[in-house]
Amino acid sequence: MFQIYLPIAEISVNLLVMLGLGATVGFLSGMFGVGGGFLLTPFLMLSGIPPAIAVATGANQIVGASVSGTLAQWRRGNVDLQMGSILIAGGVAGAIVGVLLLKVLREAGQAGLIISLTYVFFLGGIGALMLWESINAIRRARAGKPASARKSGQHIWIHGLPLKVRFPRSRLYISIIPPLVIGGVVGLLASFLGVGGGFIMVPAMIYLLRMPTNIVIGTSIFQIIFVTAIVTLLHATLNHTLDIVLAFLLIAGGVVGGQFGVRAGQKLRGEQLRALLALMVLAVAFRILFDLVVRPSEFYSIIPLTGA
Amino acid sequence: MMRAAILFLTLLLTVPLGAPALAQQGVVPPPPAEKPESKETVQSDISTREIAIESNFTGIEILIFGSIDFSDARTPGGGTYDVIAVVRGPDEPIVLRKKERVAGIWVNGPGKTYGNVPSFYAVLSSRPFRAIASDETLKELGIGLSELDFGRHIRGDSEEQSFRTALIRLKEKKDLFQEDDDGVTFIGRSLFRATVALPVNVPTGRYLVDVYLFRDGELKSESQGTLQVTKAGIEALLYRLAFEHPFLYGLLGVALAVMMGLAGWYAFRRD
Repeated sequence: MFQIYLPIAEISVNLLVMLGLGATVGFLSGMFGVGGGFLLTPFLMLSGIPPAIAVATGANQIVGASVSGTLAQWRRGNVDLQMGSILIAGGVAGAIVGVLLLKVLREAGQAGLIISLTYVFFLGGIGALMLWESINAIRRARAGKPASARKSGQHIWIHGLPLKVRFPRSRLYISIIPPLVIGGVVGLLASFLGVGGGFIMVPAMIYLLRMPTNIVIGTSIFQIIFVTAIVTLLHATLNHTLDIVLAFLLIAGGVVGGQFGVRAGQKLRGEQLRALLALMVLAVAFRILFDLVVRPSEFYSIIPLTGA
Repeated sequence: MMRAAILFLTLLLTVPLGAPALAQQGVVPPPPAEKPESKETVQSDISTREIAIESNFTGIEILIFGSIDFSDARTPGGGTYDVIAVVRGPDEPIVLRKKERVAGIWVNGPGKTYGNVPSFYAVLSSRPFRAIASDETLKELGIGLSELDFGRHIRGDSEEQSFRTALIRLKEKKDLFQEDDDGVTFIGRSLFRATVALPVNVPTGRYLVDVYLFRDGELKSESQGTLQVTKAGIEALLYRLAFEHPFLYGLLGVALAVMMGLAGWYAFRRD
């Protein structure tokens, strides 16, 4: 009952479980304002979808989720098109490198391991930082002190780089090199991990480029559409790892779940939200690490030789 | 399954009366008998010669049935005859890797390549097949998991042996390798049946179904049939698109996501 066969993953999954997974991740991402790829892809891998297919299909799901999000941000005037295009340029370059790298690793039988290690590294690091920051913010709020204001006008090394351009929407006059690099790193992660990369991009643009937070969020989700679309196309073309049936189920669940998540998120306070999100990110990181460290019950694995 | 059962029942009713009619339908004409005194021959067929994997596919059970012509047996499965059926999917190359502990984490070590591993392999027999015929005969016919060489030479080396054992174990766990010692049942003096369950992850391609008839450890007759497993319906369409026009397929995925995103936004917008 409700079993559906996935043509590319070549396994049969429960329709309701996958819709539910999409809805849960959509709910969480709507609540926290993140893409949710960092939760979705590991969940897919844990439910038996081969890692490379989980990554490609996860990227496709994020395309759908970020279209809804971008439209909402666009109406509030939070998208900096100029900054967005530079991020996309960097992102596409990063994505191509990432997809090729994943292809090589898959052939070497190490794709699962490297994907897991990268997840542990990024999720562990960012989760810990976010938790630290949000706990401090909660403490400050309890002590009755105002949240520390963003220090503007500070001169850091980034402002000494050449190729400076004016970004009127973001009220910035900076070199295009840092956004290109940030875009590139995010594109690499997107293709490699099946994530949108918002969890890297948002802090990087706030703390390194000192862009206004609302513009960062709008621009980040805008560029995620393009980068994940390119990643989806590249994976489909080079690796044949996109499962459209699975993506359809996840997006259908995600679009609905996302809307309820946004409403739930508005009832919680910012630092509480961040603390919760941090705990969740850390939990996912520990779960993946646990699988890497614990003695496996089966030592051997079969990898089909394709194109031989 | 229903269809298979009806087919079988119809056969059960018609065979004792109309064995010659069946002979005309047989997949392969029976080979000429070798000895004049015992000219028994086996004929067989499969309940479903084409298996279509569609979106509701969760695995399928197929029925292999057949009859022994010119049977000398007095009672059903009286021990005069033994039947072994081998179902074999297309060969494929694979790499087998073993996890090793490196700096505290478990990492895939260097793999061993096997040039042709049957994607599916099942041996069904009327009694333990090792007891039916000699090892040489079984080896010659390629009956039994231990007779498969997977396109890789392995002699004595204990590491090679443990890899090989692991390969068989993994495939058995996925029900892609099966040995069933009482998978073949006799009904009446000359009729037999065997069911084999193809799991949900059954590989696509052309399968060979070999049915061997033994008497006193001697191969008397054999019959071969084929079985085609293909993806059908929308699954087949998507699979072909993904591998033959991958760029178009990718675009389709992106377009689908964008449209669903737009639809979601439109349905839930609050202004």
